Amino acid sequence: MAHTPLNKNSRVGIVGIPPLDIIRHLNAVGAAIFDLDEPIVKVDIETAAPHLPRVYCAILRTAVINALHLDLDAIYIDVGPGKCDCALHVSTIFKDIVSIPVYPCRNTDTSAYGYPLSRTRMSLMEKFQKITRGVQSAKPYDLQKNAPCKPVAGFWGVPPRDFSLFELFPDRTHVYGWTRCMENKTPADTALESYFNPEVPTVFFSQSFCAKTALAKFLAAKHPKGLYLDIDVGCSSSAKAKIQAFLELSGVPYDLG
Amino acid sequence: MILADFGTSYCKFLDLSSPGKGPVLTPTKDIPRDLRVDLATGHNGKRFSEHYVNELTALARGGEELIDEDEYVLLDCGSRDIKFVAYRNGELADMGWNVECGASMGFTIELLERYYNLDYDQLPVPDRTFSVTCGVLGMSHIFDAVSSGISEAESVARFVKGIALNAFRFAGLPDTLYLSGGLCDNKLFTQSFPCRLVPLGRFVLLKGLEKIAEERF
Repeated sequence: MAHTPLNKNSRVGIVGIPPLDIIRHLNAVGAAIFDLDEPIVKVDIETAAPHLPRVYCAILRTAVINALHLDLDAIYIDVGPGKCDCALHVSTIFKDIVSIPVYPCRNTDTSAYGYPLSRTRMSLMEKFQKITRGVQSAKPYDLQKNAPCKPVAGFWGVPPRDFSLFELFPDRTHVYGWTRCMENKTPADTALESYFNPEVPTVFFSQSFCAKTALAKFLAAKHPKGLYLDIDVGCSSSAKAKIQAFLELSGVPYDLG
Repeated sequence: MILADFGTSYCKFLDLSSPGKGPVLTPTKDIPRDLRVDLATGHNGKRFSEHYVNELTALARGGEELIDEDEYVLLDCGSRDIKFVAYRNGELADMGWNVECGASMGFTIELLERYYNLDYDQLPVPDRTFSVTCGVLGMSHIFDAVSSGISEAESVARFVKGIALNAFRFAGLPDTLYLSGGLCDNKLFTQSFPCRLVPLGRFVLLKGLEKIAEERF
């Protein structure tokens, strides 16, 4: 599956979720995996401006910065239905701006791993950290470990660039949308992505300028108690205030955790 | 107990220990930096109080006190932002808070009145409008219109109507709209809405604080 010889000293960047065959191979050779969608390199996001428009998905702008600054040996970037068209175009740009092999791939995996973290009682911050870290491994989950809880709130969407907004949510917040697909290792499962629980107040989140803003807005309108929210680079105080007011006015019991 | 809504341009105060005495309005630029109140909301509220209430929460609670209906849309047009709550069956059904793209609408309206020496009570609602999504971007429409020969008053009126229509769309195109904020006193603005408008004045958030104070303290 791999196109270039990799070993335990190799440093490989991934954008989106490459197919499990690729992750298995990287795990097998012991390569270090860097999730380029996350803000790893601490430099101003505006440094991506020479390569991408400033009005563009902040996740992919972040990926460009990481690719430029991390000393990598290869990049695997999902450009299929599990990611987005923007990633397809960014893969073209990668090939021009980095001098390492860039491998576009299309993740259409359908083997469902389950999504225990999405439904368990845990701080939303920790939940997202574990789910996003899980992308780097092909190991099956211990489904006994994280028992499901009864939700009091919901968060639908992709992992945001800025996790600080999770501080506002109670521990019994269930995760829906693409992040649930991510945990399930089926990022192109649009049926799972579109699922929500109408019983719990849910924030429908999307990164600004992402194609998923349309789905987030659509589903929020369908949900009896849904809030559509898009955030660009960082979570502003007004965005946090909006979430706080939504949860409070929707009767979400903070004290129950 | 002193309650306060610290807005971007104006602050509103209510002293609960002086019943019968109404709210007091003060320009934000005149507020002493060391001022402290008991319970606050508003853009600048956290700086001046130990107990802070989210602006949308204060708006919603104020609406619950002032509007005797189970279904309604309440829109607050401030200097810096616009926000709304929509209720169905007595419960929150929708809400929105537009700071970035609704930025500075109220502030710009007030600024333009002074700059062009206009009186909004005397300006008729224009037939035409500008497509305005933000106060700052909308200004360029005014300058373009004036340079093309349209009068300053007509240009500003189109701008104000554009802001009203943008706020109306933001609130979900309701048949009836309850309006909160200082723009309730702006006749040109209120008459520019293409729906039934019920102005509630600029003290709705204070009313919400009053309710919250009764419940918590």
